[in-house]
Amino acid sequence: MAQRNITITMGEGAVTNAPQIISSQGIGSCVVVTIYDRFKKMGGMAHIMLPDSNSANGRGSPYHYADTAIVTLLGKLYSRGALLQDIVAKMAGGAQMFICSNGSGPGIGKQNISSVRRILGRERIPLSGEEVGGSYGRNVEFYLDSGKVIVTTAGKKEDVEL
Amino acid sequence: MSKNTQLFTEEQIDFLREMMNIGAGNAATALQQLLQCPIDLIIPRVHVLPAAQVSSILDNPASLVACVRMGMVGDIDGAMFFIVPEEYTKKLISIAEKAQLGISKLPGQKHEEGDFSAVVEIGNILSGVYLTAIHDFCGLNIYHTIPVLAIDMIQPLLDEALVKTSFQIQTAIAVENELVVEEHHIRTLLLIIPSPESIKPMIDALGQAKKAYGSA
Repeated sequence: MAQRNITITMGEGAVTNAPQIISSQGIGSCVVVTIYDRFKKMGGMAHIMLPDSNSANGRGSPYHYADTAIVTLLGKLYSRGALLQDIVAKMAGGAQMFICSNGSGPGIGKQNISSVRRILGRERIPLSGEEVGGSYGRNVEFYLDSGKVIVTTAGKKEDVEL
Repeated sequence: MSKNTQLFTEEQIDFLREMMNIGAGNAATALQQLLQCPIDLIIPRVHVLPAAQVSSILDNPASLVACVRMGMVGDIDGAMFFIVPEEYTKKLISIAEKAQLGISKLPGQKHEEGDFSAVVEIGNILSGVYLTAIHDFCGLNIYHTIPVLAIDMIQPLLDEALVKTSFQIQTAIAVENELVVEEHHIRTLLLIIPSPESIKPMIDALGQAKKAYGSA
């Protein structure tokens, strides 16, 4: 019996239950955030591209931006009966892929990481695992039956289980 | 809001293909001079597709590629990428070494990046040739900026170029360039990703050029 696998790409999100798996491939400066209710075995994942929706004047999908993505995932989970006390979050990504010279301050990867951290803090969601930064691409698989998040690379680093 | 990502019409795409094929002829000459050996350059395909789907062009989207990124400035802005899948990079580098191409390793430079300087030079030259072809056909003045190299899966390498305008679907023009050197077939990919503001000027210029050149 095959488990159904949902794949999301940049600027997308999904919410589902065990025993499904949500995955996303080819994550560079984007950050993938997972939010999981351990008791109800339901969760969501968002592939975030930018730190702050205020820069966009309301354009684009809510999953593009860290602030609106996390709030959207939480809204969906709460409406399905998830409880704040049972929720944990994990994140992966936020790399700086090219060593270069834009010069002006932290790259978009770092900004995404900070923004996700800040928004999760504001929403009082504990961050129980992270695999972020560096200069390599990542793939993420989120298992809804256990809450496990597996982060792989194309040979740049050993696989990490969050 | 329609999800129509096909910003270019079929006619415009055909015209792009014609331009790229002519660019290929010039590219082969330029590379022959660089690599000092006979080179054929085949363009099996020109794709126009959403930039977020570029990885689908590769046989294995999860595999490593060497990627040279350059900015585009001028009448069109955006980014260009020259991509060589890892399975072809060794051959390309050994051909370049025979021609004694590539800068010597700088102190502190990682071994693999020193070897790949030849890939950077080739990407630089190919980009220049294709931008010249675009200029000759459409009158657009586009310059590419300093190349930088990274080696990883293709989609993460494109991220930073795509994220700034993430609410708009960006279109990539992907030109497969197959270099035939002796018995080796080296498959490479050149991506041209105009910024969303540049799409309309590009389409307008293609339209003008078509009028000037007419249909065959």
